[in-house]
Amino acid sequence: MKKALTILAIIASVLAIIFAVLPISNFAVFPAVIAIIFGLAAYYLSKRTGEVKKIIQFSFILTSLALAISTYKAYFTKTEVANTEVLDAKETQFEEEAIDELENLDIDTNENTDVNIEQ
Amino acid sequence: MLRTSFPFILSILFSLGMLAQNNAISKAEKLTYTASYNMSGILTDIAQVTMETNEVKTSKSTLLRLKCTAVTYSKWDNFFKIRDLYESYVNPNTLTPYLYNRDVNEGSYFKNMKYTFSNNTVKSVMKKKKDYIENKTLTIHTGTKDIVSTLYYMRLTDFKKISVGTQKTFTILFDNEEIKGSFTYLGKETITTAIGKKECYKLAIGTSEANVLQGKNNNLLWLTADENKIIVYGKFKIPVGTGELKIKSASGLKN
Repeated sequence: MKKALTILAIIASVLAIIFAVLPISNFAVFPAVIAIIFGLAAYYLSKRTGEVKKIIQFSFILTSLALAISTYKAYFTKTEVANTEVLDAKETQFEEEAIDELENLDIDTNENTDVNIEQ
Repeated sequence: MLRTSFPFILSILFSLGMLAQNNAISKAEKLTYTASYNMSGILTDIAQVTMETNEVKTSKSTLLRLKCTAVTYSKWDNFFKIRDLYESYVNPNTLTPYLYNRDVNEGSYFKNMKYTFSNNTVKSVMKKKKDYIENKTLTIHTGTKDIVSTLYYMRLTDFKKISVGTQKTFTILFDNEEIKGSFTYLGKETITTAIGKKECYKLAIGTSEANVLQGKNNNLLWLTADENKIIVYGKFKIPVGTGELKIKSASGLKN
């Protein structure tokens, strides 16, 4: 039981670290909470038998690190868009092409059809 | 009889004509939103959505270009890059579409769809990667619009004249198929947004495509209860979770 809880705590803390460094850093909180619960349970059982393995403490360090990284990213990382040059160029190109195509269409902007939306 | 009823008929026609007028959308409007994905209450900002209008002049007419873009935030670009562009060239008064363009770039997926509207027929050109081109001529019902012009057309609704619970339906041409879209007016609600505290018209939206928007009253839109009727907040239930659309900024509004 103690061994299983320790392994689960380690797996959850490693997952928390992975999530924390990825763009989905907000989700690191889920494996972090699981790692803390399993880690505490493993710590309690180990203490009863007299020996607390270093690996449990290691899982706590990993979890704390994951939470620190995700908290930092949540508060200090700016959400911004970049590399939109291709899209900007496409917008201009599409508009030019559209004007050419619209020239060939029979458009009556004075028409006043489909006024009402079907109820 | 005709003499007495004529002014009455004329006033009705006039008021219908007034309904058709675009009093909500300006020719230089820019609305910026943040699209977020919600997982167990934790929101993650995914992309920036922009809805922009501008005037387009041809030698014969002046049209309104309605443009929507979706761009993932830079932190997601290495993970899953989205660069989507949707645009519709419409009649500035009635928002009847003449040309629609949809250019989707999501990760390794690419698709371009162009519709040229002419009365009840649509010339459709679909392009995919590896030079795949598909041309089709479609017959549509009167009043069918593309997704972009439908989204803007909703804003021409006179909410003062409809009661809570009223449902309105639209026919939308999407992926060469006509689908039914609808909204139900749920009443007024005041919400706090990035552009201030706003009194809004709350709408529940839905489509005939069950795999797009899920559940009844799970997909909601809040439109400002003023003459502009801009979308300030949206909540959506999609197959992979729930999403939110929150306004960041608004400029060039008509009123």
